[in-house]
Amino acid sequence: MDDDPDFLAMIQDFFATLGEKIWQIHCATSADQALELLKVRKMDLVVSDVNMPMLDGIQFLHLLNRSHPDLKKAVITANATEEKRSACLAEGAELFIEKPRSPEGLKSIFIMLEELITWTPREGFQGVLRRVGLQDVIQMECLGRTSSILEIHNLQLRGRIYIEDGRIIHAQAGDMVGETAFYKLLALPSGEFQLHPFESPSQRTIEGQWEFLLMEAARVHDETAAEAAAAGAAPPLEAVPFVESSLAAPDFDARVEETLICSGKGDPLYVWQCPDQPARVTLLQNVAQRASLFGQLMPLGNFDRLEIQLTGSRAVAQVGPDRMVFVRVSSSMEKSPTQPQ
Amino acid sequence: MNNASQERLTAGATVPGLLGCGLRLPDSTCLGYSFDETCPREHWDHILHQLAEAMTVLAGHGLAPRRLTWTFAQGQIFLIPRPDGALLAVATRPNTEAAENVDQLAEEFFSLAPGA
Repeated sequence: MDDDPDFLAMIQDFFATLGEKIWQIHCATSADQALELLKVRKMDLVVSDVNMPMLDGIQFLHLLNRSHPDLKKAVITANATEEKRSACLAEGAELFIEKPRSPEGLKSIFIMLEELITWTPREGFQGVLRRVGLQDVIQMECLGRTSSILEIHNLQLRGRIYIEDGRIIHAQAGDMVGETAFYKLLALPSGEFQLHPFESPSQRTIEGQWEFLLMEAARVHDETAAEAAAAGAAPPLEAVPFVESSLAAPDFDARVEETLICSGKGDPLYVWQCPDQPARVTLLQNVAQRASLFGQLMPLGNFDRLEIQLTGSRAVAQVGPDRMVFVRVSSSMEKSPTQPQ
Repeated sequence: MNNASQERLTAGATVPGLLGCGLRLPDSTCLGYSFDETCPREHWDHILHQLAEAMTVLAGHGLAPRRLTWTFAQGQIFLIPRPDGALLAVATRPNTEAAENVDQLAEEFFSLAPGA
């Protein structure tokens, strides 16, 4: 959408050629034309100018966010200021691009837009296993009262934890079953996990509440670590540190300030003290798209999480095709209740 | 971009586990180095641009990061902003010397004069 018909005609020809007739490009010279088109055609991507009469690109993005929250959006403008960039990205634009001045520039934009169009979440849910990370996953499944199978494995052991309607009903690890298997899996120092669709297990071996099971797992883990330390070996978690020191457990009295757990589509499953839920969902979707892009540009494998270190607090954004999580933790010593971070 | 910055970035070629690193100055000038053939140097401009945008997005959501860590199954990207607006990005394999040295690299980055 652009109020300059010459620019629209030029970009339509150029992109149609580069898109090898796979792209279907529809043009509009105003927001109302664009909205009418969106009513009658399903679009994969909307590309908008910013400076337009009547309704500018930022207001248009705001409307699109309400009427078509899942639609991918990009902005191309001749007047790219930081202020406009921030406003557009905050309104859900995935890309903010300066209008090109050469055919090479147009080609670069085409590549970026094609990348945005073809971006799709990977199937499955994969992450790097740490003690906290695994407990968090179980906690979010239970809080969301969902049903799933959490498969966990490393070089030594493979096992499964069955969660039905938010209750842990069965665990199996090697020859072990029940709570023994559950505690063994949660005490693993490293490995990987995947969430699978729920299937009823052949037996049900666990009945306790998930909160107590997680607490008991933490106690068992601490005892194992202490025994290992007494025997001269380093505790398992310290023996295989995955992340750098800045991600180590905080040495202050950490407090959860905000939690949002939602489905892959952004539907809330659990919300606690989240000041602006739609904005957080937009942020998580933005994180997912950038992570996907980084994964394409570098050999990094599947995305696990974004850790945001803030002044006096930190936040974690974890995204997957069927679940997105945002948690912010602050220090009670450093917390400033009047200044949300 | 002065020689001190370039020397520090190129020194990373000898650190095991370092995939690449890049610097983005407040005027949007980018300097990227790749130490892994699967991630060509040209990608770094794009990566730095996207990381800078991520900072802007987070700031727009009331989250002004002191550091960002993007964790993947086979690597991490660290982004360290400096008060003058310069950004240092480092990509490493997990559990490597490079990953363990990010804090040190960040300290050196902060010790450089603004604009360096």
